[in-house]
Amino acid sequence: MSRPRRALPPARAPPDVPDSSPVSAPSESYEVTGPLDPAAVAEALAPAFGLHAEAPVRHARTYLDTFDGRLHGPGLTLVHEGGELVLADTAQQTVARERWPRVPKLLLVTDLPAGPLADALAGPVEMRALQPLVRLSSREQLLRVLDGEEKTVVRLRIETPVLEGGARLPTHLHVVPVRGYEKQAAKVLRRLEAALDLTPAAGSIADDAVRAAGGTPGGVSSSPKVPLAADDTAAVAAARVSSRLLEVIEANLPGTLADLDTEYLHDFRVAVRRTRSLQRELRGAFPGDALREARARFKRLQAVTGDTRDLDVYLLDFEDFAAHLPEARRPDLEPLRRLLRRRRAAALRRMRRELRTEETAATLADWRTLLAAMTAGEAGGPDADVPLLTIASARIRTVHRQMVKAGSAIGDDTPAEALHDLRKKGKELRYLLEFFAPLYPAVVIKPLVSSLKALQDTLGRFQDREVQAELVASLAADVHKMDDATSALMAMGLLVEGLHEQQRAARDEFATRFAAFAAPGQGAIVKETFA
Amino acid sequence: MTRVLATYNIKGGVGKTSAAVNLAYLAAREGARTLLWDLDPQGASTYLFRVKPKIKGGGDRLVRGKTDADSQIKGTDHERLDLLPADFSYRHMDLALDAAKRPTTRLDRVLEPLKPDYDFIFLDCPPSISLVSESVFEAADALLVPMIPATLSSRTFAQLRDVVGDTSQVLAFFSMVDGRKRLHREVMAELSAAYPEILTAAIPAAADVERMGVERTVVEEVAARGRAAAAYRELWAEVRARLRP
Repeated sequence: MSRPRRALPPARAPPDVPDSSPVSAPSESYEVTGPLDPAAVAEALAPAFGLHAEAPVRHARTYLDTFDGRLHGPGLTLVHEGGELVLADTAQQTVARERWPRVPKLLLVTDLPAGPLADALAGPVEMRALQPLVRLSSREQLLRVLDGEEKTVVRLRIETPVLEGGARLPTHLHVVPVRGYEKQAAKVLRRLEAALDLTPAAGSIADDAVRAAGGTPGGVSSSPKVPLAADDTAAVAAARVSSRLLEVIEANLPGTLADLDTEYLHDFRVAVRRTRSLQRELRGAFPGDALREARARFKRLQAVTGDTRDLDVYLLDFEDFAAHLPEARRPDLEPLRRLLRRRRAAALRRMRRELRTEETAATLADWRTLLAAMTAGEAGGPDADVPLLTIASARIRTVHRQMVKAGSAIGDDTPAEALHDLRKKGKELRYLLEFFAPLYPAVVIKPLVSSLKALQDTLGRFQDREVQAELVASLAADVHKMDDATSALMAMGLLVEGLHEQQRAARDEFATRFAAFAAPGQGAIVKETFA
Repeated sequence: MTRVLATYNIKGGVGKTSAAVNLAYLAAREGARTLLWDLDPQGASTYLFRVKPKIKGGGDRLVRGKTDADSQIKGTDHERLDLLPADFSYRHMDLALDAAKRPTTRLDRVLEPLKPDYDFIFLDCPPSISLVSESVFEAADALLVPMIPATLSSRTFAQLRDVVGDTSQVLAFFSMVDGRKRLHREVMAELSAAYPEILTAAIPAAADVERMGVERTVVEEVAARGRAAAAYRELWAEVRARLRP
């Protein structure tokens, strides 16, 4: 680290006015056309500032993120470099690091040792797998901008990245302010912008690299949102939304088959369920015979993926369930967890077989062909040419009315079935509102969706806890055959009790949640908006 | 969890600033977010980092909580290493503390809001036994005490142990050691036998340390391969291992 000070001395010191802002300005990044010579930077900054250029170094970096870009969203960057995983924030400040000798092919937060990195990733990443996005080899040179005291007041980093495979990406100049020298940083920025051919970087180097490698920066979204207009015909709109859902299904299929993490399957299933909902709600837009076949086929897709997902949910929630047991009893549940894992492995094998059949391929291919024909105006049902707004409004109004009616009839003694049915209707309404949100004012959609979501959470918990309690009870016979059965069965008894208790709690919440959803004021707004 | 480490000795000229600056540098180089507060009105560490020895409104307002410490922090030439500079008015800090309520908690209260931003905070303290040092004892998780292995150091160390009370986090080490002097060798052997908790890393009286003042940087940049740099690395590893979990 010995460093000869080959600084270019500034002719005069810049004014050193203490800045009152406690937080350093975030660093700025620029793209540079052609190579950037430190001498040109020195010239741009003289005589106010000196410049010290450190020796260039090479970095091999692998950028990681989840399939859906969960780190990219909040502006985080996870890099594997020099046997370490390093997480940095938007200001390129290191948040946490962890020794990790080799580039991980697949990394779950639970694979990491307890520590700052696991803590920082747990929130945004949750249960998703981190995977290498792109590998870069960069030449980097650090230039330190010096004041009259030869004190570093700004750091400049020239980064020339080369994509694995040899493609060269634009050189970036990063201007990193030093805390307490924000005024100098602003001045340096002004001088550099005036003297050099700089373009503010549109995205990060990682984004450029992902794009150059043919990927999508920010990951693959599973959102069903597509642009829609009130005067689109029902057939065109149905085809557009369905095509988007088909994209999501196809994007998540490989990860589902490879079982990279639980969320590929989850997103796959949500898109299938949304597709089925659309097939029901806009049935008049689709040609009858083709629709009948497609509905049966999509029903099958949902059925063959159900067991695996149920077991995923159980295993994902396992810690939460165990938390309801006294701490000393929690290890007793391990036989149950082992059993669930075995069941899940078997369910996964069955699901893979089903998803790899010709039938699955034909389901998706035929559906794509049908949607293309509808978009081209060559196929459609009796309502194909009806304006979307007319059908969407009618459906939203009807489903909302049905929910209010069904929910109002639910009292303390109503059988659980009625709540399950209400939840199904709620999903239907939720999807309708999501698909057709662009047609209506956000001020109406947002509060409606949020009160519906709160109601659905309660109904979901009510049903899930029942299903989970039943599953635990049904596994008792199998656990009985295992080694440490007695204590496990006792713990399972406590668990079932805890699940029933949570189910009761959800039922107690129902009245309040439903009242908020079915409030008369909201009903009036619904009638008016979806008239 | 933030660790607050103070370099302290009742005597001056024993290598406090050099220890604070070099250990803070090593902490930051390892990846820790590090702050050094130069409490000495002479501002030696501030000078080494080429920062102006200036606190807006003076040290009085700072320790009374009237000036936001956060706004006075300066980044140094080294990534992750920040400095809360010295100010000449720190020479009156005793008076400022004396006039404040619960004076010995004042430094701790200045540091408290900064802790989320830093893994290590080093305090480079002026030599004395005063309200300032009492305040430092209160704020610090551990005291790093450089001792020159000369006649009086045994007495000074005993005094310090009396003043501090809890001796478990007094991390004493030999500083400015001249291995050619028989006296140094003897005192070190004697003291280490009497106080086995004294750290084994010892900082030599090396020209590299003196050159820090000329080149205004840390010893790792003056001569990374020198004995002094190696001694500070060894000292830092030992200090970290000794900190309470």
